[in-house]
Amino acid sequence: MASFSPPLSSTLPTSLNRAHFSRRNWLCFIQKRNQSLFLAKSTENGAGSVSSIATEEKQESSPVAVAGKKEEGAKKAESLSLNGTASVKAEVPSFKDERWVGGTWDLKQFQKGGKTDWDAVIDAEVRRRKWLQDNPEASSNNEPVVFDTSIIPWWQWIKRFHLPEAELLNGRAAMIGFFMAYFVDSLTGAGLVDQMGNFFCKTLLFVAVVGVLFVRKNEDIENIKKLIEESTFYDKQWQATWQDENSPGNSGKN
Amino acid sequence: MRSPSKAQKIKNKKSKTKMASLTSTTAAAVAGPARRRSLTVRASATSVKLSGRPLKVAVVGGGPAGGAAAETLAKGGVETILIERKLDNCKPCGGAIPLCMVDEFSLPLDLIDRRVTKMKMISPSNVAVDIGRTLGPDEYIGMVRREVLDDYLRSRAKAAGAEVVNGLFLKFDAPQERNGPYRIHYNHYDGVKGERGERRTIEVDAVVGADGANSRVAKEMGAGDYEYAIAFQERVRIPEEKMEYYRERAEMYVGDDVSPDFYGWVFPKCDHVAVGTGTVTHKADIKKFQAATRLRARDKIEGGKIIRVEAHPIPEHPRPKRVSDRVTLVGDAAGYVTKCSGEGIYFAAKSGRMCAEAIVEGSANGTRLIDESDLRKYLEKFDKLYWPTYKVLDVLQKVFYRSNAAREAFVEMCADEYVQKMTFDSYLYKRVVPGNPLDDIRLAVNTIGSLVRASALTREMKKITL
Repeated sequence: MASFSPPLSSTLPTSLNRAHFSRRNWLCFIQKRNQSLFLAKSTENGAGSVSSIATEEKQESSPVAVAGKKEEGAKKAESLSLNGTASVKAEVPSFKDERWVGGTWDLKQFQKGGKTDWDAVIDAEVRRRKWLQDNPEASSNNEPVVFDTSIIPWWQWIKRFHLPEAELLNGRAAMIGFFMAYFVDSLTGAGLVDQMGNFFCKTLLFVAVVGVLFVRKNEDIENIKKLIEESTFYDKQWQATWQDENSPGNSGKN
Repeated sequence: MRSPSKAQKIKNKKSKTKMASLTSTTAAAVAGPARRRSLTVRASATSVKLSGRPLKVAVVGGGPAGGAAAETLAKGGVETILIERKLDNCKPCGGAIPLCMVDEFSLPLDLIDRRVTKMKMISPSNVAVDIGRTLGPDEYIGMVRREVLDDYLRSRAKAAGAEVVNGLFLKFDAPQERNGPYRIHYNHYDGVKGERGERRTIEVDAVVGADGANSRVAKEMGAGDYEYAIAFQERVRIPEEKMEYYRERAEMYVGDDVSPDFYGWVFPKCDHVAVGTGTVTHKADIKKFQAATRLRARDKIEGGKIIRVEAHPIPEHPRPKRVSDRVTLVGDAAGYVTKCSGEGIYFAAKSGRMCAEAIVEGSANGTRLIDESDLRKYLEKFDKLYWPTYKVLDVLQKVFYRSNAAREAFVEMCADEYVQKMTFDSYLYKRVVPGNPLDDIRLAVNTIGSLVRASALTREMKKITL
């Protein structure tokens, strides 16, 4: 999550050191008029390690108060001082990638073996969003961003994100199912076919499936409880004025 | 976190299909209080008939709620006194009013400075989507200056027979006996020398609290507190060429940098723009969020000059108690601001009017004393009429303002024409119209798809470090 010291300063992650690097192309360079920041370029097929050094530039006080006073502005005079003085280009590095053309990813540059490498597109977009999350940029009318994630075909999303998860969950369900079937059989003597005919066993099966689906991490139990409470909280706030009436029961607003 | 988003997806799907059958189910569910209501014995028809004088009501606060209430009361034959502390107040406000308000309150069109017909939604990664393609030639969001609107409504109340007093409400004394009067203490400023004003008291039969988010009437009647957002806004005068871009366009920026639970905006006013943001949970960081909003809009407001900085609380939900004996609240004082969009002007004016109508009816045009049951009728009517709107916006806020991933999905969804049409229909006319069920299903599928994609990307984002 981006956090900035007020007012907006060009805070960059300090001392980034990329130890690992994926096989993806990724080219990013940052321009800066001051010498305090540079980022080495990584090459193609690069398993190069890229390191960048960044320093913070502290802005002084709130722009409102700054009206007109920022002349030691070799550095700053950042466009936040909206008082009509010549606004110098802010020292925030902007996102640059050679495959990002005209506000969207140029799919022609993602070709691999004659077909579009959707995995690379996903990775590139992930990087772009991560970059912008850490360094928000001004939105521009000259170069509007028009990228829509739905251009990546649905089967790619399934292959990349859903299938590994599904495999995990199915594995869990299978293990639980096998163990419970054995356990119930050893206790009651009812085999698998007999168990399936029993209502209680079918209920247990349903609970197990729902549990595997919704409770994937320990925190999920808390989250689900919070969600349930949250979904009716607003209703309760609206009905509060009716509670002090001496009438029994609760009103079912929703 | 995967599970919450999955649970959200299911909830969202339910809410989308819910929207389709919203009118039927909620109407039935909402009839709850009405059914209870018919069992109570107290009926205003048996209340005391006032001899020789009409019902006297004090409306505290002269904004849209107070002005609308006072006008309807005066028209209904009730003796009304409207107490406003600052007659030229420029309340910090977005200033957007829906089309239905212009119709329902017969507002003259020259009250509206600008007609916004295009809105731009900008996601955390600066994906920009224009909405407004589905608007008809006569449809727009009206931008008004609060001082102009408030003054107009007050002048209408005055023309209808209400007495408009420049004064600051201090407190009221509860009645000594069952049908006794409320004694109101206020500082009278009209034509009085010096700043302090003159302390006066008047006796009235009922009090309508329309004095806004920091309502004193609410405090006096023990209405309880609510959560509120801080909205912070800077008015910026930008060069003419840049103003042209905003001639009919408003912008909405979403993102964690701009606000963790609300949005940042650039709204055009008469000859300048208002750049602002708001938050409920991180009020201490509001300046940081404002700086981030200015950064996001930087290229478009470059060279602008800040002419005014203002901030105001916005209620998030109604107060626990909105009526107490013969004192009731309307507008922001009651907490009638929607979630997600933060809209309050229309609901303030409408609640003021509905409250006044209930008082006029309960008092048979000012001839009888009213009691709490009459005021509860207004609450019931208002809750029943607008509950679907409030609930839908609450669900939208919970789903789409949750995280950057959800906001990306939100902006992506806004590109869909059906979404735009539904959004504007429900905003401009305040009705939740169930559309074609097939379209609703397609919308649900697309929404879930967007949310899934966005959250998948966010999970990947967590794994990498730049």
